[in-house]
Formats: sequence, C-alpha cells, structure tokens
Amino acid sequence: MALLSMKNINKSFFGKMANNQVCFDLEPGEIHALLGENGAGKTTLMNILYGIYSRDSGDILWKGQEVSFTSPRDAIAFHIGMVHQHFMLVPTLTVSQNITLGLKEKGYPFPDRKALNATITEVSKKYGLQIDVDAYISSLSVGEQQRVEIIKLLYRDAELLILDEPTAMLTPQETEYFFEVLRKLRADGHSVIIITHRIPEVMSITDRVTVLRDGYNVVTAKTSDINEQELSQYMIGRQLHSIQREPIVPDAGREGLVLKDVSLQENGIERLDSLSLQIAPGEIVGVAGVDGNGQKELVEVILGIRKQSRGKIRLDGVDISSMNVLEHKKLGIGYISDDRQQDGLVMDMNLTDNMLLKTHTDHRFIKHGLINSRLVWEDTQKAVEDYAIKTPGLNTPLRNLSGGNQQKLILAREMAGDPKAIVAHQPTRGLDIGATEFVQQQLLQRRANGCCILLISADLEEVLLLSDRIVVIYKGRFMGIFPNSKELNLSHIGLMMAGRTSEVGGESL
Amino acid sequence: MKQSGKLLSFLGIAVLTLSISILLILMVGSNVNQAFFSFLSGIFGSFYSVSEVMVKATPLILTGLGVAVGSRSGFINIGAEGQLYMGAIAVTGIAFWLHDLPAIVMIPLVILGGFVFGGVWSVIPGFLKARFGISEVITTLMFNYIALGIVGILVRTWLKDPSSSLPMSAFLPDAATLPIILSSTRLHAGLLVALISVVIIWLLVWKTPAGYEMRAVGLNPRACMCSGISVYKNILRSSLISGGLAGIAGVCEVTGLHHKLLEGISPGYGYIAIIVALLGKNHPVGVVISALGIAALQVGSLGMQRMAGVPTSISSIIMGVVVLLILARKSIFRRLLTDE
Amino acid sequence: MDSGFIALVTIYLIDSVRMATPLILAGLGEAVSEKAGILNIGVEAIMLSGAFFSFIVSFFTGNLYLGLLAGIAGGIFVSMIHGVLSIHCKANQTIAGLALNFMVMGLTSFLFLIVFGQTTTLPSCSVFSEVKIPLLWHIPIIGPALFNQNLFVYIALISIVLTAFFFYKTEWGVNLHAVGEHPQAANSAGLNVFAIRYFACFVNGVLGGLGGASITLGQLGFFMENVTSGRGYIALVAVILGRRNPIGILAAAMVIGFSQALQYNFQTLGFPIPTQVFSMFPYVVAVIVLFLSIGKSIDPSALGVPFERNKR
Repeated sequence: MALLSMKNINKSFFGKMANNQVCFDLEPGEIHALLGENGAGKTTLMNILYGIYSRDSGDILWKGQEVSFTSPRDAIAFHIGMVHQHFMLVPTLTVSQNITLGLKEKGYPFPDRKALNATITEVSKKYGLQIDVDAYISSLSVGEQQRVEIIKLLYRDAELLILDEPTAMLTPQETEYFFEVLRKLRADGHSVIIITHRIPEVMSITDRVTVLRDGYNVVTAKTSDINEQELSQYMIGRQLHSIQREPIVPDAGREGLVLKDVSLQENGIERLDSLSLQIAPGEIVGVAGVDGNGQKELVEVILGIRKQSRGKIRLDGVDISSMNVLEHKKLGIGYISDDRQQDGLVMDMNLTDNMLLKTHTDHRFIKHGLINSRLVWEDTQKAVEDYAIKTPGLNTPLRNLSGGNQQKLILAREMAGDPKAIVAHQPTRGLDIGATEFVQQQLLQRRANGCCILLISADLEEVLLLSDRIVVIYKGRFMGIFPNSKELNLSHIGLMMAGRTSEVGGESL
Repeated sequence: MKQSGKLLSFLGIAVLTLSISILLILMVGSNVNQAFFSFLSGIFGSFYSVSEVMVKATPLILTGLGVAVGSRSGFINIGAEGQLYMGAIAVTGIAFWLHDLPAIVMIPLVILGGFVFGGVWSVIPGFLKARFGISEVITTLMFNYIALGIVGILVRTWLKDPSSSLPMSAFLPDAATLPIILSSTRLHAGLLVALISVVIIWLLVWKTPAGYEMRAVGLNPRACMCSGISVYKNILRSSLISGGLAGIAGVCEVTGLHHKLLEGISPGYGYIAIIVALLGKNHPVGVVISALGIAALQVGSLGMQRMAGVPTSISSIIMGVVVLLILARKSIFRRLLTDE
Repeated sequence: MDSGFIALVTIYLIDSVRMATPLILAGLGEAVSEKAGILNIGVEAIMLSGAFFSFIVSFFTGNLYLGLLAGIAGGIFVSMIHGVLSIHCKANQTIAGLALNFMVMGLTSFLFLIVFGQTTTLPSCSVFSEVKIPLLWHIPIIGPALFNQNLFVYIALISIVLTAFFFYKTEWGVNLHAVGEHPQAANSAGLNVFAIRYFACFVNGVLGGLGGASITLGQLGFFMENVTSGRGYIALVAVILGRRNPIGILAAAMVIGFSQALQYNFQTLGFPIPTQVFSMFPYVVAVIVLFLSIGKSIDPSALGVPFERNKR
C-alpha cells in the first residue's frame, strides 16, 4: 500500500490552475523526486499536503487514512515534516534551542539541556548529521543550518520528510554529504520527497521521479527506468516555436554590451562564475535557466546595484564596471526588474511620480530648480497613450493598476529615450496573454532600433520566441551559448538548465 | 462605499472624543454647557485670544513641519524639542557675539544660525541611521535631554545674566527681536516666518527633484536604490531639514516672545509636533491646520479653566485620546471599513 | 582606610541604590517587552500611572500595601492599552507610546486636581520604611546599601534575579526571545506569538507600575504633576546601556543612580558645577555606547514590527 496517496488534486490561484488533477503516490522507504521548472506546481502540491494551502478538490490519503491538514502543526502530528527554502530558525538561539522550540519537553519550563542535547546528538549521529548542538545558528553555514532543520523534523519523529530545493544553496561537497544523509534516512525506513529542478541529482539519489509541468503530472517513473534526456524532454516538453525575426543589421560603430569574466562572491559562495558575454546592438540574448541560478545577481551587477568581485563590464566601449546605478542609467541602460513592486515602482505614488523615478534629474523636465509638472504630465500622458496603459487617470496610485498596466508603465519609463541596452528580468511574469504579447512586441521593437537586450526568463518558451542567441545559466555559470535556430536541440538546453553540460554544439565560452 | 465608511469612522472618532470630553467635564463637577461656552469664548472671545492661538501655533507649525518632512522620508524625528533648544542657543550666542549688527542683518543671520544648529543636532542621528542603521527614535530622544542639559548649563554659566540670580540669559539686543505684527498682542513676526517656511517646504518637497527623492526614499527605498537615488544622501538631507526647521522654531520663540534664553521656552512643543504632523498627515497645509487646532485646544482649555473650573490638563488628555483613537481606527470601525 | 571616606562611599551607595530602584523596575519591565519585540516609549506613562494610583489608594485607605497593588494595576492599565494597539491594531508603536505619555500625563494631573483641588500644601501619605535584613545589613559598605532599604529596593533586586533566571534558564525565556527575533519561526514551531507578546506587555505594566509606585510610596510620600519627571525615558536609556540584560540594566541603573545622587548632594553642597552636567550624563553615555556598538546588531530583529501570520 502506498504510504502517501494524493488523488486528483486541483488548486488554482487567481484563475490560473497551479495543480490540475494531479495524482501523486509515495511508497514507504523511497526517495522520490518532484521534478519540474518554475511554476510547474511542485511546491504548491507539497504546500497543500503540508497544510499551508488548502486544495480546491481532491483527496489525500496518508497510510490509508483520509487526511486534510490545515496547518503544518497538524502535518507534524502525523509525522510529516517539510523543510522550506527559507529556514525557520532563530539566528540568536542555539541549535539545541531551535530544535526543541515549542515542544514541552521533560522538566518544562526548566529544560534539562544536557539530556536534550544527548538525545539530539544521538539522532544526529544516527543519520550522519554532524552538528554542534551549542552553536548559535548565526554562526552556521547554510549546509549546517539545513542539517538543523532536518534534525528538527527527525526529533519530532517525522516519517516522511519533504525537502524543497534542498541543494539550492549547497556546495558540491555539501551536496554529497547531504546525499549520504538521505541514504541513511532511507535505510532507516524514512521516506523523502525532494522538490527539485536538477536532473543530475535526481539521477544520483532518487528511487522514483514524478515530473510536473504546467500543473500537470506528466510522468512518474522509476529512476532506473528513465534517462536524463527523457526527463528533460518531459520537463520542458515544448514544440519549437520559431518567429520570423529580421536578421540583425550589424552596427559597426557600436560595441554593444560586453561582460568579461564577471564573477561575484558573496558570503564565501561564488554566485557568478567568470561570465563572459557580448550582446551586439540590435540583438536579443536570452538567458535560460531555472530561477535562483544567479540571474538576479547577474542583472544587479550589470545595472550597478551590486558590485562584481571580478571582471569588467563595458557599454559601447565605455567601462562601466565601477559606476553607480545613476551613471549606468545616464549612459542608457534600462531595467525591467523581476519584482516590479519592490524594485521598479513606488506603489503609493501616482503615474507621473513613478515616471519621475527615471526622469527627475533630467534637465529637460526641470525649470528654475523646480520640476516642470506640465512637461512631466505631458510626458506621462504620451506614455499612457503609446503603451495603452489602462488607468482612471494620471493621478491614480500605482497600487490601483493591474499588474499588466504597472509593467507597461515600467516599460514606458525604461524604454524612453532610446536606451542603448535593456536588461529585462522576467518581464512578463504575472501578466495575462494580452499584456505578455505587448511586452514581447516592445522588446522586438527595441531590438529593431538597435538596442542590446538581455532577456532573462524562466519561461523557456519565451526565451525561444524572442532571442537571437540563447545562453543557459546554471549555478552562476554559463553552460553554453547557442544561436536560436531550427537546429537547436531542446533537450540539450533542458539538460543544461538542469545541470548537465553538453559536449555537443554550442560556442566555446 | 469605502469612502463613506472612512468618513464615518472619522466622524465616529470625533463623537467619541467629544463624549470623553463631556465625561471629564462632568467629573470635575462643572456645567457642560458652561464649559463648552467658555472653551469657545476662550478662543474666539476676544481679539487677543485669537492672537494667542496664533502665537502658540507658530512654533507648532515650524516643528510640526520639521517632523512632517522627516516622516515623509522615513526619518522619525522625536528630537524636535532638543533641536528647538539648539536653535535657541544659536540665536542667543550669535546675538550676544555680534551684538552690533543691525536688525536687517541680524534677523536672517540668526534664523540661518538656528537652522544650522538645529539641523546639525538632527543630522547626527540621521547619519547614525543612514550609515549604521541605528534607530533614530532612540537617538533623537536622547539628544533632547542632552540639548536641555546644555541649555541648563549655559544659562547658569556662560550665558547667564549677571544681574539676575535666575538661570537665564540677559535680554537679547534689540536687533535680535522679531517685531510684533498685531499691536497690543503678543503675535510676532515668527508667524510670518512659519508661513513662509510652509511655502518653501511645500515647494521643496513637492516641486523639486530633491524633494521628490526624499519622498520616494520614504515610500520605497529599494526602488530608489534600483533607480540610482541615493538613500543615504536623502536620509541625511531630510534629517537636516527636519532639525533645521525645529531650530528656526527655537529662534522665533526667543526673538519673538521671550527675548532671552531660559529653560522653559518650550512646554513640549517638540513632542506635540509629532501629533501635529500625524494629524496633518505630514502635509504642509495639514500641519498648519492641525497646529492651529491644537493651539486653539490649548488656549480654549485655558478659558475653560478660568471660567468653568476645568483643569487645563484636559487638553493633554484629549490630544492623547485623539491619537490613540486614530491608531485604533481601523480596528474599532472594522465593519464600516471592510470592502466586499 | 579613612573611616570618613568609607562613610561617604556608603552614603553614596545607599543613595544610588535608592535612586536606581525605579529605573531598575521600569527597565526590567521594558526589557521583557522589547525582548518580545514590542518597543514601548510610553514607559513614562506606565510609571506615572503607577505613581498616581498607588498614592491615591494609599492616601485614602491608609494601607501602603493596597497602594502598592493599585500602583501595579495602574501600570497594567497603561501597558495593556499599548499592547492592544501594538499587537492587535498593528499601530506604530512609537506614536502609541508618545500618545499614551500625553494622555496619562494629563489624566493623572486632572484626576489629582479633581480629588484634592487646588492646595498649597501637597497631601502626603506615609512611606514604606526601611527594613533591616538581619545580619546582612552589618556588612560594611554594601550592607546598609543593599540590606537596609525599603520594600521596593528588595523587590527590585529580587526582580533582577528572577528576570535573569527567566530569560536565560527557562524555556519561557527562550520562547520570549524567539518571538522577538523571528516570530515566523516561533509561529511555525507552534508558539502563540500574540499571547506571548501580550504577556510581555503585562509584565511591562506590573514592573513599570511598581517603578512608579516606588517613587511615591518609597521615596517622596506625595504625588504631584509629572512626579516621574522623565524617569521613564531614563529607564529606556538604562535598557539600551544594559543591552536588555538584567544585570546590565542593574549596572546602568546604578551608574545613573550614582550620577543622580551626585547631583543631589552637589546641590546641597553648593558646588559651582551645574547639576545639568549630571542629568545629561546618562544620555551622553548612552549615545557613546550606541557608537561603540556599531556593527553589532543588538536589537531583536522583530523589534517594533507587527506580526502578521502568513495566510494564503
């Protein structure tokens, strides 16, 4: 009998189906991967199980019994535990204190720390999870913190452990170590579900794998019965879209946007690893990859929001490596951030004020030291017309506009003044079809005008649609650069996105 | 539906406040009608009383403006009281040091001096916040007490009037005097300084690029960072202006009203300013209105005490209660305000 | 050692302990509150309320112990208003605290006038007398300072021990810490963040009320408008100087108490140093401490931030 059985789970958010009639089974004592791209529905499914979301319909059977958890505490009571991507650890308490937090142990409220520590150490030794129980969380590495989270679950007698992207922040050595722990857990009769997008890891550690795509369960198979190419095919599963793009007219006078050996090190971790890339004027280079592989860092380094540790960046021959954000903007780089509410807009300000985020130092809009409101108003009005922004008025706070119209304002602002380069990070995220098409059209327009465009999107289809060349990023490294042509091998791209370098094709990096 | 609910909730706060006032008046044993009558006549009863409202509103407008500018940029200025006193120290020092200057030079000079002293006193906590993330709530609060201490020391030592045994300075030179603008009242040109400041600040914060930056930083520092607006620079800028305005308030109180430096120049204007800014929604016009309102409250309560025996402390109670009700508004009137 | 010198030190120590007591009590209460993530600028209001109600009840019942209880009740009344505003209404805690300071200042003054009317002589009540702890009070220097004091001093000293024990040796202390540092983690571990925060506000009221009562019933024997005269704010300073650690708060309060004792004695001795030097002293030291602690984050991460349970 299956340990866990989820039948016909449906869940939608704001009209979009995140899980569509998904069936998922787990056998006792197995390590099972939930594989898929961003937005495939993996975390949603597990959050439903764990009681964080409520499902629209479907059944969940745990050990043959129907269950419906309304909070993680319910799930833990049934010996199901989940480790999320953002750890729930109090940095200024010790490992031991975090593990026993909220439990009324013997001697409560005067816990016998020594005895508790002994028990914790026993548990941790059993599964090879070395940890110093008296260490403060703030002094631990990410890998060590993860171990604490796992011990927390084992301490509460979890039989099933759900791990969300567990190797996202681990070094290769830590990953190997982590796999050993999983093997020990399995040997001891525990079951593990790993949510991941990384195919090599699926191949090395799991017993079975279920691939989700666009909210559907595409396939469930024994890992030994399936290979990487097939997995990536299932994961991506798209038809090649070709779009008629005019060939680029090379502009000999301009160098374009150049990155040379750009690296970024933070907290001892290499976030970007010697990235080199040249985007010619009038070219769209699409960066394919699952979210969290260095895209945000790359974008911020190019914009000047973060400073790279090594390497150079040039725009049309000008070295912008050590310039600040304002200087970058003045030189003509437009930025469409992946988080428009945090990075791109001041939600409580109106349309004209948000346009000013770019133009408030522009001399054309300043008269005698004061902002020329009439000109700003006209400028915003033109933007609203040109980009068909639906708004009750120019005075409306951005908060009241729909996501698509908010994004249109950002486009209008960033694309104004014919920028030399545009960095577009998930530009169509959360937008409906109409708005998405509009944004894509705008990018193609700029391309025709000679702009260098770096497009980063977790939606491979979008990357394929728009890009002249495609580069795959994985763990902060460029895995391969390919021209976007009919000969493009999709499954190779999929493999690279999931961690396997391809020896076939591609330009040398 | 939502707009009318909001209006009703504010009306509800007004009703509650009124009810509490009535309750307090009854507790004293006074006649409610007489109390309200004496309150109103205390404000509007004579030419002089109306002028008194404006005299008291002057420092509240300036300090309230300062707090409002700070709040707009995310700088919570609890230190307006201390900054006011630093302005007072500035004017006293400058006036005695350069005592031969004619008024036409002296007045602008001391106003500038007050702005600088008050601004510096505020920019130090601003720097600590911008550079090190140290909470300005605590630092500005402590700087208040340090400033008061400095005043206390000065009026007993270097600035002490030798001909008096009391801790205060000598009278300031005539040049450092703001003229009375309404004869036989105490209303001095400080009100004009305050109103001019209101216009200048309005222009600065809403019409200039610098003011735009300050407002944007207060609303979304992250977006500013991504757009090349320096959060650090703008925290410094706003804290400087915030303290500078409070400093000017100190200058006006000394040159317009007291004509000397002493410890009791401000009966807590710097703290009341926080309420003024809150009620005025951090907008210059709102600040003027709420400053006048609170000044009227205080003058009116003096009338209530004189003619109906209601202690003036009622005005503090009402001020506190109004703010508490505003903070709790969304919870108290939850049913009125939920949409759908 | 010169016996005159010893006597001087002893006197200053006694005075310092006495001056420090209200600060210790209010400071401990505030430390508990801040540990849970609630910043209460309205400590002044709590103390004033405690001072007022303890005096009124003592005066009319003649019973000091009833007065003490009334002082505690007065403190709780104010702190729970602050609690509801901060936790339930998720209001700005700084403004809530300031508004309470205004309201309570006015209210206590108002009620005092209603009860006693305009008097030239302040109504007074008796004061807790010193209680000698047998044997211990004979210890030279610290004996009289620590063991021949009134009830409030003993309560304060015991509170320090209890609070330290509570913070560092019990699971309750760990829970309190978690709630103030990382309420989401505390919530997902099964702790009731709201309940723990309300409890912290309650303790803030109890100790702050005691602090206020210690001024009227322990030192002065009378009440007048603004009798706390800023001691609530000084308690905030003591909390910062003491890094929210009970022993640290004791040390900070003693230093401040000492400067207040100096201030008092210098005044009577007629030295030309203005007493303002001493009254400024704690604040200057606090600012210096803040400078020195740059880089080391000492505040609970969730201090002042209302807790929203993540819902979907």
